[in-house]
Parts: sequence; C-alpha cells; structure tokens
Amino acid sequence: MVVLLRNLQNVVPIRRARLRKDVEMLKRILGVQRFDMGIVCVDNRKIQHINNIYRRKNMPTDVLSFPFYEDLRPGKLPCALHRDEYNLGDIFLGVEYVMQQCQKRSWDFYGTLTVVTAHGICHLLGYRHETEEEWDEMFQKENYILSEFNRLTGSHLEPLTKRCTGDG
Amino acid sequence: MLKSLTRAVSIAARLTNKATTSASVSHAAEPLVRSALCAPTSATIRPFTRSIWMMCGKNDNRLLTTKHTVPSCGCGGLHTEGDKAFVEFLSEEIKEEKKIQKSKALPKMSGGWELELNGTEAKLTRSISGEKVTVTFNVNNSIPPNMEEEPEQGQKAEENEPDVVSTPNFVIELTKQGAKNSLVFDCHFPEDEISHGEGEEESDIFTIREVSFQPEGEEDWKETSYTLNTDSLDWALYDHLMDFLADRGVDNTFADELIELSTALEHQEYIKFLEDLNGFIKCQ
Repeated sequence: MVVLLRNLQNVVPIRRARLRKDVEMLKRILGVQRFDMGIVCVDNRKIQHINNIYRRKNMPTDVLSFPFYEDLRPGKLPCALHRDEYNLGDIFLGVEYVMQQCQKRSWDFYGTLTVVTAHGICHLLGYRHETEEEWDEMFQKENYILSEFNRLTGSHLEPLTKRCTGDG
Repeated sequence: MLKSLTRAVSIAARLTNKATTSASVSHAAEPLVRSALCAPTSATIRPFTRSIWMMCGKNDNRLLTTKHTVPSCGCGGLHTEGDKAFVEFLSEEIKEEKKIQKSKALPKMSGGWELELNGTEAKLTRSISGEKVTVTFNVNNSIPPNMEEEPEQGQKAEENEPDVVSTPNFVIELTKQGAKNSLVFDCHFPEDEISHGEGEEESDIFTIREVSFQPEGEEDWKETSYTLNTDSLDWALYDHLMDFLADRGVDNTFADELIELSTALEHQEYIKFLEDLNGFIKCQ
C-alpha cells in the first residue's frame, strides 16, 4: 500500500517525489500496489557496511534487497492474511554508487534508479540470478516490467540483469 | 569508656591517613578527635591524648585546625572550602573543554547562509530570487539523552563514550515578496538517526513535523492558523514538501551542517557558562 521512502545520505540530492512516482508505477505494473515496501537511499559507506554484514562483500554496490517473505517462488505473490503481512520488504539503493556509474557511462540517473529498483523488487518477489535458469527467469521479468514502464512513460530502460550477473 | 575512645581515636587515625589525598575527609575526623580530647583527664587515657598531640605536629596539623568559612575577599559573599574546591573543579573542566574545542570560530554553513546569534538562539538567513528563507534554532536542551548501553567489561568507558551532538528542533520560515503570510515548517532530527555508532538507523536525517501559514515576522504563532501535521499525511505530499525545501537549500547537507554548527555553538555556550559560573563563585 505504502512506499516508505527514506533518504539517509547527503552525497546525492534525491528528488523524492520523482523517485516515489517511479516506484509506485513499478508496483502498479507488478500488481503489488496493496503491499508496503521500504526504499532506503544510502551512500557508499553505508551500503558497503550492509553488503559486508549480510553478504560478506566489503564493497559498495547499487542495490540490496531484504525480502519480507524469504522463500517465495518467483512470480507467486505472497499470501498475506493480516494487514501487517502486506509487506514485500526493503530495498537499499546505493545512490552514490548509482550516480558514479551514471557519470562514468553517461546514463540518466533517475532512469537508472528505476532499473535498479525494478531489479530490487524482483528479488523481493523471489527472483534470483545464481544459476543460468534463474538469471533467464529474472531477466524476462525485468524486461517485462521495464518495457511496460517504457510504454507508459516514453523511456528507454533496459534490465539490470543484462548489465551484470551474480550481484544485488 | 576506654574502649570507645580507642575506637574513636583509631578511626580518627585511619581517616587522617586517607586525608592526605582528601581535605574533606580530615574535616570529617575533627568531631571525633574533639570528643576524645574532651574526655576527663586520666593516666589511662594519656597515651591516646599524646598520640593525638603527636598528630598535631609541624608536619601534620590538619587534624586539630579549624577551617574557617568566613568571607575573605570583602565582597560580602560566602566563601567556603566547598566553593574553593568547586572553583578548582571548574577551572580544570574549562581547561579540558577548551582542549577538545575544535575551533573558537563557529563552522560556516555552505550555500550563502548568514548567521545571526542572540545568546543560545541562532538565525540563518538566505535570499533566493525574491524569496527569503529563515531558519531558527535554540541550542538549549538540544542534546538528546545518551541511549548507549554501559561499556562491556574490559572496554574503557572513555573509548566507548559517544560524542556530544546537538540536534535542535528548527523552524524554517519562507517569505515571498508581497505575500501576507510566511510558510512555516517545524522540523526536527529523529532520535534514531543521531549516530551513536554503526546502528542500522532508518529515519531521514531530518523530518518535517508541522506546516502552517503564519503572519510574517510575528514572534508568536497564531493558534487559529491551520496546522498540517505530517504524522497522518499523504506520503506524496510529504515528498513534495521535502523537495520544495531542498530547492531552497534545506536538504540533508544543510541538516548535517546545522548539526555541526549547533554542536559548536552549544559547546561554546557551555564553556561560557562554566566561565561565568567560575567567576560568580569567585566574585569576579
């Protein structure tokens, strides 16, 4: 139902209304509007710290997902019974890292943030990319979400799984 | 009688040994010793009285010397031994606080903010394209209580001691040319964001608590003005308000710099208070 947006960093200025609008649209495309979700914007130091704690990777990254439902089958929506179970979990966006990638590759920042968030939401919904089969399944989903997003907004966004493997 | 005297004197002697490091302890010993001296003269108690007189020799005359607590500087005020100890303590505290003071000058806010001080109240002002932005805060009661747990065994308390950080509530007043009312934002720093270490804090650096229109430049706010409380606000509206403030220079960078400024100002005022207190006690 609610996108809980938090901006814990001061390295990259964030247009909150823009980010919320894009995330709300991704939720609508996926048909998960009735689920809560947390979006937390953090800098390199913070995401590196979290990455090290939860994945033993002591480096900054673009996105980390913390699903509320940990054993979801990809594509199956959670069966929530109570109001507080309508929750998909939290996505930590490494906005400083994303900004650096955008500057290197001349990508649009908010477009990239949408791509990264779509990737994160797929993880919240049980998608993985550890095997080739999983990767393919996740790529198909991301591709669908972003092509719908592009159709609705006139953007030209591509899935994150196309750009990287084994991370996030 | 002998038994009780023995006890009294031996306690006095024990306290005297300790008194080499603590003046207040030697005072505590005085009444005990006096009662021993007032005992009836008798051969049986002489060794004890002698031992007491021995204590009053050239090298250690504290035990039987009365400390005077009368005014000594002519100011008419009271000057006690406690005052003397207090002044010594304050001088040491001021020295220590000045040692940890990063700079005597307050840190500058980036973004062209002008600072105006009135005691513990600070006012930051900035003009952008016909709009005036004023941010006010007071450093009094701006240090949140320390929520840190007790240091673990073997860990030095000093190492574990968190920095004192001042996180005052602040009010942003936006005035447009020709407008009757100012748009006023009541903001604060949520407590869990204030870094006590590497906690997984998840609140924004600062949040808007209330928004209302108020007559420009009025000291007291009108209770009859509609006040938007953000507790039950549509999140999209809240985000637009935050973006609106960011466009006017009040963003996370500003909030972090405000904490630095407020912390330095609070420290400066604390040192000034200690100096005033020291002077007051010394009658300077």
